[in-house]
Amino acid sequence: MYLYDQLDQTLINERVEQFRDQTNRYLSGKLTEEQFRPLRLMNGLYIQTHAPMLRVNIPYGLLSSKQLHALAHIAQHYDKGYGHFTTRQNIQFNWPKLEQVPDILAELASVQMHAIQSSGNCIRNITCDPLAGVCADEIEDPRPYCEIIRQWATLHPEFSYLPRKFKFAVSGSPKDRAATQVHDIGLHIKKNDAGQIGFEVLVGGGLGRTPVIGQTIADFIAEEDILSYAEAILRTYNRFGRRDNKYKARIKILVRETGLDKFTQQVNSEWQAIREGSLKLSQDEIQRVKRFFAPLAYQTIDNDNALIQDLGNSGSFRQWFIQNTLTHKQTGYQVVFVSLKSPHRAPGDINSEQMSGLAELADQYSFGQIRTTHDQNLALTDVRRADLYPLWQQLSKLDLATANIGTITDMICCPGLDFCSLANASSIDIAQGITDRFTHSAIDTGKISLKMSGCMNGCGHHSIGEIGILGVDKKGEQWYQLTLGGSDSHQSKLGDRLGKAIAKDAVVDAIDDIVQVYKANRVDNENFANTLQRIGLQPFKDKVYDAD
Amino acid sequence: MTLIKDKQIIDDPWCYLSDGHALKASHTIIDPDFWHQNKRSLSGASSPLGLMIPGDQELAELANDLTYFSLIAIHIPTFVDGRAYSLAKLLRERYHYKGEVRAVGDVLPDQAHYLTRVGFDALEFTDHPSASLALKKLSELSVCYQPG
Repeated sequence: MYLYDQLDQTLINERVEQFRDQTNRYLSGKLTEEQFRPLRLMNGLYIQTHAPMLRVNIPYGLLSSKQLHALAHIAQHYDKGYGHFTTRQNIQFNWPKLEQVPDILAELASVQMHAIQSSGNCIRNITCDPLAGVCADEIEDPRPYCEIIRQWATLHPEFSYLPRKFKFAVSGSPKDRAATQVHDIGLHIKKNDAGQIGFEVLVGGGLGRTPVIGQTIADFIAEEDILSYAEAILRTYNRFGRRDNKYKARIKILVRETGLDKFTQQVNSEWQAIREGSLKLSQDEIQRVKRFFAPLAYQTIDNDNALIQDLGNSGSFRQWFIQNTLTHKQTGYQVVFVSLKSPHRAPGDINSEQMSGLAELADQYSFGQIRTTHDQNLALTDVRRADLYPLWQQLSKLDLATANIGTITDMICCPGLDFCSLANASSIDIAQGITDRFTHSAIDTGKISLKMSGCMNGCGHHSIGEIGILGVDKKGEQWYQLTLGGSDSHQSKLGDRLGKAIAKDAVVDAIDDIVQVYKANRVDNENFANTLQRIGLQPFKDKVYDAD
Repeated sequence: MTLIKDKQIIDDPWCYLSDGHALKASHTIIDPDFWHQNKRSLSGASSPLGLMIPGDQELAELANDLTYFSLIAIHIPTFVDGRAYSLAKLLRERYHYKGEVRAVGDVLPDQAHYLTRVGFDALEFTDHPSASLALKKLSELSVCYQPG
């Protein structure tokens, strides 16, 4: 993985001291709340319902065991002993003390981590495919490009006061596992006929109040031009994006109101002026960064006997193996998903003991690296198949082996009204209700993506869930709007509204109705999306609303 | 007002026409409307002229006029409005403007560093303590990732 050099380290150390000064000035009344707000947000610090919330970047979802140990220590020492992984591969701490945040940032800096631009109207963490480098269908590893973009975007002097937040996601495979179509800029690595690496560039995707699927603005931007092209898009957005209404300030609205053709012309005209300038990437620089992501030192393994025997011996292990692991491109290795959707915790939450334990397992079994995924789970991506059984045993002891990846209990869920000052409705207790209802039938029910947000800002990606749940406020009461048929795959799609909003105490039953209709109508192993497409919304509507 | 120019606090030789100063005074900053209405008479003036533009100014409209101005001030209505940063960058890099580029309006000391990095060489602050703090803030970060 990428390791900081002198420049990277100096930069984040100085940024910590800069933020320490800003915090001190705020605490001593020399900065107003209004002035401090954008400054603290640009360093990942929100003021939430109960306490500040600090969001820490995990660039493209890659963590070392040392970093995970540090996060465990921060959770234990500065927070209430746990953290929450987000849909953008970051971690949030919900209970830090404002005056201690500079110390937390200093601890993060000591393990090459930071919270720079994890919030605010600036370029946010660059996310990517959690299977980068290990999936067989990959055209090129996206992580070196993510790192190159991360560096360009970090403390960018021109793009730190954008009209609104700005998110990049990069995918290196034809199958999109990074939700690139719902990002402000989505990049798809491709090769042209001459074998050169480049990117299809999507622009203007996003969830929130106005969910939009991104559109292609360029079919092929060569790798050496990617920063100048990104700069051209950002400059066009910074100049012309709306600033009169924060709900209309994202680039998706600018693209819609300008029209894709005209917007493309504006970007291209800007790009032509800067394309041959200082942002052009040299092959030396691309190769320098790529060396950090060279293939790991895999062993040659041609014997799968141990695993076959283990699978024969334990049904629970077999179930976990089928549900929570994936084939690796290297023979003899397997990708292991670490479920953060146990029945005993809120989705995406992990305590310090689990973090430390997992960091040790990563050292023992997976080259000391851990990935975060956009569906709020973790992964050990490079495990020898012969080690899967002992790994599973130890993950089970840590309550990190719930065999539910991809099922209805592996839901995406925002923190909701319990923590977030934006939320209209709670999501964690609904999640708990769904988990309780489906824990024993989840595997039998099959793959269903359920995504839930406590308000229309959509942090829980409800618009692209096969089942989406959106919390709404009706005269001070919490109600829930259901949508069906969304998708976050390479053909992203927004879900359709099922009908009128549902009262809080009826939500779990409604989800159960939907699952029953699916199960009654599915043919063979047909998945939820295909059944829904074949039979339409009506049978689901009938069941959910007639049951009233 | 306290002015930082080239990373030092100096007395400001400029005044704004909008403040009621007579145009005859040297070093007057005018707005685009006044410029367009009086271009003929102003373009022959020997005393330095400045122009204050808003964040949504289309620079192409001024491209041929930039040589008349020793100073371009960009008005920042609120400190979270980042358009001025792109305008300054374009003035310097696209239009090769060599005169003073000044940030005017709602500017925080914490923004001084980024402002100077995109091409501003003059920053106006409401008072001396803010300007002094801004000077300190200019040297907080000794490295950066972006070229140029």
